[in-house]
Amino acid sequence: MSGLIPIVLLGILILIFSGRLLVQWSRKNRARLVTIEDYSNARTALDSVFAETAAIRRIFANEDMEFISQAGTDDVQRFFLKERKRLAIQWVRMTRNQVAHLIDLHLKLASYTYDPNPRSEIRLTVNYLCFILASSGLLILLWLFGPFKMVRVVAYTVRAAEYFCSVFSLRLEKINPVKLASAREPRSV
Amino acid sequence: MDTNLIWWSAIALETVVFFRGLKAALLRKYPLFYAYIICVFLIELLRFSCHEVAPDFYQAFYWHTELVTVVTSYAVIFEILRGSLRHNPAVIRLARTLVLSVFVLTGTYVASDMLHGGFESLPGVTAELGRDLRYVEGALLLVMLWLFGRYRISFGRNLLGLAIGYSLLVGLDVINLALLFLPGNEFSIGLRKSLPITYLITLSIWCASLWSSQPEPLPPPESAIDRDYALLAAKTRAALAHLSTRAGRTLRP
Repeated sequence: MSGLIPIVLLGILILIFSGRLLVQWSRKNRARLVTIEDYSNARTALDSVFAETAAIRRIFANEDMEFISQAGTDDVQRFFLKERKRLAIQWVRMTRNQVAHLIDLHLKLASYTYDPNPRSEIRLTVNYLCFILASSGLLILLWLFGPFKMVRVVAYTVRAAEYFCSVFSLRLEKINPVKLASAREPRSV
Repeated sequence: MDTNLIWWSAIALETVVFFRGLKAALLRKYPLFYAYIICVFLIELLRFSCHEVAPDFYQAFYWHTELVTVVTSYAVIFEILRGSLRHNPAVIRLARTLVLSVFVLTGTYVASDMLHGGFESLPGVTAELGRDLRYVEGALLLVMLWLFGRYRISFGRNLLGLAIGYSLLVGLDVINLALLFLPGNEFSIGLRKSLPITYLITLSIWCASLWSSQPEPLPPPESAIDRDYALLAAKTRAALAHLSTRAGRTLRP
């Protein structure tokens, strides 16, 4: 009986994935090719992630909190904590969206590379899943405890974001521009 | 009466699929798939003749021919893989590695299972071998479908119909075979009866999608000026990125 479950699951998954293929095909008719413009935008987005990461560490810095607790009143402390918490949650959400966008482009650009590597693709998938889990956990923890007690999780999230950026940077360097569509060409497939 | 109707409908649909393929010049495009259709068509005719002439021999004959059907259906997997990844050389390598790994792993499992289980009766062994081969096929198909989804592989209408129909057939057959080999499961009997109808639906999907030759998604067009410019720009960007990393490392205290 225990051997039956994986086989039935296999059959069900085949049906689900084929349904997804059909949905993907119907959407693809409205989708567009990756253009040189997308390629340039991706690089700009990547650069901004690198630049922001250094500044973002400051949101979670304990020194600021220590300074406010020594110098400020209770109201100021509350206001400061509220603002930092809002900022931190906003940052986590934005980073998650940015990484998701990079992954999306990475997958789209997979067909345009010179040298794909199955091992790094599998590692990237696993890392992305870990990143999604960690960032979701971080959002809950930030909401519960505020930004100054999450140093380790924040450090992991920042490292993961940097990892995705470097992977994507390598991917962009391996792109075969010959295969990219020009931004001037019609965008529908 | 109902069985005969389903039988004749399947034979008729297989004939239509084949002749439409011939007329739309799809035979050259998907030779492995049409070889499978011819094979299944001949098996259907043989089964029908056996059922009418020697009904006692039918059960054993069914399982032997089922094994042949499952083995030849691997041609459809290769056809889908070949057609879908034609313009995606990057994904071909990944697909080959994954598909080969799944095939080797499951093949080893099947072989060890057969060696440990022994060979009690020939029809029983062929039936079990057919079942195990179908499971391998299901696993391969699942890996392929996952890859197609993940890398957003473009499909033409012909190939999409081929893949969807085939997935429906294999997916339901895998579930049915799992239940069929479970002792005392009544649910499987009902499911087994519905399988020929599933096969008719699959044939109808193939018939509709392969009625005429549809254009396959083309690789992005090339323009000489854009190509040269983009190539130069990309190489410059890569060189600059490399240079700035090195400069950063050198300047760091």
